Amino acid sequence: MRDLKHLIYFENLLKEANNELVKKAKEEGKLALGYTCYFMPEVLLDLPGCFSVRLRAPDCSSPDIATYYMSARVCHYGRSLFERALEGGYNFLDAQMATETCTVTCRFQEHIQQKKLDSVKDMNVIENDKFFCEFMDVPFKNTENDYQYYHDQLEYHVLGKLKENLGVDVSDKAIKAAIKQHNEVCKLINEIGDYRKLDNPTITGYEFHVIQLVSLVCPKYLILPYLRETAKELKTRKPDEKWPFRCKVVLAGSENDDPYFTQLIEGCGAEVVCDRYCYGAVESRQPIEIREGETPLKAVARHYLETSNCPRFMPQNEMRARKQRLADLVKEYKADGIIICSNKFCEYWSYERVIDSFIMQRDFGIPVCSIEKEYINTASGQLRTRFQAFVESVEIKKIQEGK
Amino acid sequence: MSFIKDFWYGKPHTAEEGGRRLGDNYLPKTGLYKHREWRGVKDTFYYFHNIWLYNYLHMVMDVMKYGGIINFVKGVWRYRWVGQTYLPVLHWFDRGLEGLRGEALRASAWHYRAMVNATIYQFMSMFNADTRLHGGKKNDAWYHTMAMKETTWGGMFYGWSDKFKAVSLEMIPYFVTCHVNSHTVHNYIDAVQSIGLPGDPCPMCQAESGLFVLDDIPDYSPFMITCNEACDGSVATAILQDWFNDKPLYALQMPMQFDDPLANKFVQKDIEKCWKFIEEQTGVPMNFDLMCECIERQNELQKFEWEKWEVAAKTSSYPINGVAQALYRIYQSQFGDLPIWHEVDAKVRPIMEKCVSKKINTFPKTRHRVIAWSCAPLYYSNWCTWAYNAWGLNVIINMDSLMFDMTLRTDSYENMLEDVATYHMWAPMRRMAVGGMHHIFELWDYKERFNCDFVMMYDQLQCKGMQGVHGLFEDEFRDRNVPAIWMPHALPDSRTVSRAEIRRIINDYMSTVMHEEPLDPSLLELDDDMTW
Repeated sequence: MRDLKHLIYFENLLKEANNELVKKAKEEGKLALGYTCYFMPEVLLDLPGCFSVRLRAPDCSSPDIATYYMSARVCHYGRSLFERALEGGYNFLDAQMATETCTVTCRFQEHIQQKKLDSVKDMNVIENDKFFCEFMDVPFKNTENDYQYYHDQLEYHVLGKLKENLGVDVSDKAIKAAIKQHNEVCKLINEIGDYRKLDNPTITGYEFHVIQLVSLVCPKYLILPYLRETAKELKTRKPDEKWPFRCKVVLAGSENDDPYFTQLIEGCGAEVVCDRYCYGAVESRQPIEIREGETPLKAVARHYLETSNCPRFMPQNEMRARKQRLADLVKEYKADGIIICSNKFCEYWSYERVIDSFIMQRDFGIPVCSIEKEYINTASGQLRTRFQAFVESVEIKKIQEGK
Repeated sequence: MSFIKDFWYGKPHTAEEGGRRLGDNYLPKTGLYKHREWRGVKDTFYYFHNIWLYNYLHMVMDVMKYGGIINFVKGVWRYRWVGQTYLPVLHWFDRGLEGLRGEALRASAWHYRAMVNATIYQFMSMFNADTRLHGGKKNDAWYHTMAMKETTWGGMFYGWSDKFKAVSLEMIPYFVTCHVNSHTVHNYIDAVQSIGLPGDPCPMCQAESGLFVLDDIPDYSPFMITCNEACDGSVATAILQDWFNDKPLYALQMPMQFDDPLANKFVQKDIEKCWKFIEEQTGVPMNFDLMCECIERQNELQKFEWEKWEVAAKTSSYPINGVAQALYRIYQSQFGDLPIWHEVDAKVRPIMEKCVSKKINTFPKTRHRVIAWSCAPLYYSNWCTWAYNAWGLNVIINMDSLMFDMTLRTDSYENMLEDVATYHMWAPMRRMAVGGMHHIFELWDYKERFNCDFVMMYDQLQCKGMQGVHGLFEDEFRDRNVPAIWMPHALPDSRTVSRAEIRRIINDYMSTVMHEEPLDPSLLELDDDMTW
């Protein structure tokens, strides 16, 4: 296939958090608001005058100082973010909107927070006088009680603090404008992503991963023109005559902001046609609908609790439903199997991965490749062997089924 | 003359005084005693009759009282965790009470007695109702027993306590047993890793999951209440367990940011929904009066605990040693009200009052008053007994003891519910571990309050929350010039850091950093890996 016009530009934008578009938005006086977790609704950080940046620490393979503070026995992602913060990589942030949704990212965010306590010194990591870090609490279920709680948390800790500390307009009108912009991004990303459903997709998993990531880490209003142009370009993009892959897979699991991991899988012959992981598009690029009688904030609260497939959701029906949803994705994207990954030291996904490995094969008959990986995948040789073996097993299964 | 004195009073503690050399009592490489410790005529006989014999007798009587020998034997035959831990119980006493004399021996031993009774009550309640021990039949007990995750406070079910028993699912099969026999739990950890779980998640959660993988858990209730306490691993474990358990489930929430001004109301609603779920499952409404009655009784326990803390903080006459204090307190406050806690408190009160009024120095060889912080190694909870005997490190208080630091109001439904919600959110391993760093650094306040000069910092190697603040503690210890030992461990898994390794770390610190001589050099090196 012909290269996408903006792919190299997008790849460059992913090389550091404070990328060209972030700098441009800052120069225009916009406020940069960092976050790490899906449960901190990105749309509320994209209110007029602000832009959201989902934090990444690209190429951080040796988080030495962070390891002193957090030990080597916690998730590499959390440590890498902290290392990058210590290096000054997030000094552009005006605020970090935090959640205690997993332990290590919580600790990272606490490290950069000005706690103003006598019991522990502040590290003054982010060199920006305006900077503050605010935590909100996220429920483990999605009942009416939880919607209300989550709504109130967003109102108090996100909108309240943005208005109080940074003077951000948090009116319904402003939220509606942010939703409108968010929905346009979603529409474009989904349009782009839908080409992965074709028998011979006109976009690779790697390309899509890069595009999805830039939509998370760049100011929306600045990345939108590029997304529009890419979507237009894809309408006429011709696939290779012969499909260059051997099977299609859904990539599911924990935090993954490393497009080279997707590239590694595709290099082994498995095209990644769906991305159901933290930082993936399955949840984050669903448009937000404001239902009749709902305030925009209520719609946001409902949307994020309804769409999440996070393994921290505990209701019994929800635990079972997310397996069904994963199986539905396999069908929708015509995938041959699932690669389920967990970052090393990620407790949620270590367990969820074990459950998926069993349930998806036993109850849905879907082949599963279960992988534990690092945030930065230096052990690519071992992973390559695993993926190649999985691709072969899927091929053998196809032959046995006469496909 | 010295021989007669030693015979009558027991040998003195320290080497300079011609000491007792407790380490010489062990058979090499076993941790078992060659012979029992001679504590002087009075204490030796007290130990034999009032602790050893008394507790063995009550272990039989409790079994008979709570369900009978047949169900007990069936349980021993079916479940390895009870088979492997029932008989070594008195060795667990010996380890925890080693070297103690006088009032400290008596008061600490009563705490052990209470824990044994509570344990037998729970596993016999399980066995009485267990379909696996009754040919698959769901008997009346099965319909009248509730199962909950071990980190759910037992008081949540007070409103049904006249008709139903509430027994935590993992408290006995995993948590209590690995204190008594450190080897039992390895099997469960290996089991869950054999189905693909990596080795790095919290080993406590791994062990809890392994019980289900090996199908070594009784089926004694029609439904289950689970919760997210204390951490990511607990949530994930609850989910894995549910796939095996496959019973009606209610997931009770504990907000991570429990100080949040919005959290309490939210949890109140969740608790009410949980109660509604139980009502639907049992067909029996929650009895508010009964709930208040039980809470009042539990408040009495808390009030005495505060008295104990006061004595521990302000005097050298506190007669309860570090391990008895920690285990009893966490057990009692987590389980909720039970007659044995009151019986034991009634025995301990006069002992403590005597110590205070007569100004008895209960741990006379104390060199340092220690506060132990974070989660303790379950397979070596008696390290503090050893540390006092070997180095004079006297553990005054520990983090787990301080978790449920409140009484609950019963003057109205609203106040009761509000306090139940708070208590529920202050669950063990949690009150100081989540909800913001300021909680974990409450260490300094407690250190001052309990008049301690030394910190034993538990370093649970697989606890992401504690590992995530490791460096800040290092910085603070240095800045504040506080002597502190990091004690690495893996909660129940004695293979990761052995007891001998823990002792070596303490020995090294005490000799090279503190430049102190051991009180009893015979205890410095001993190999007890193979023992319970």
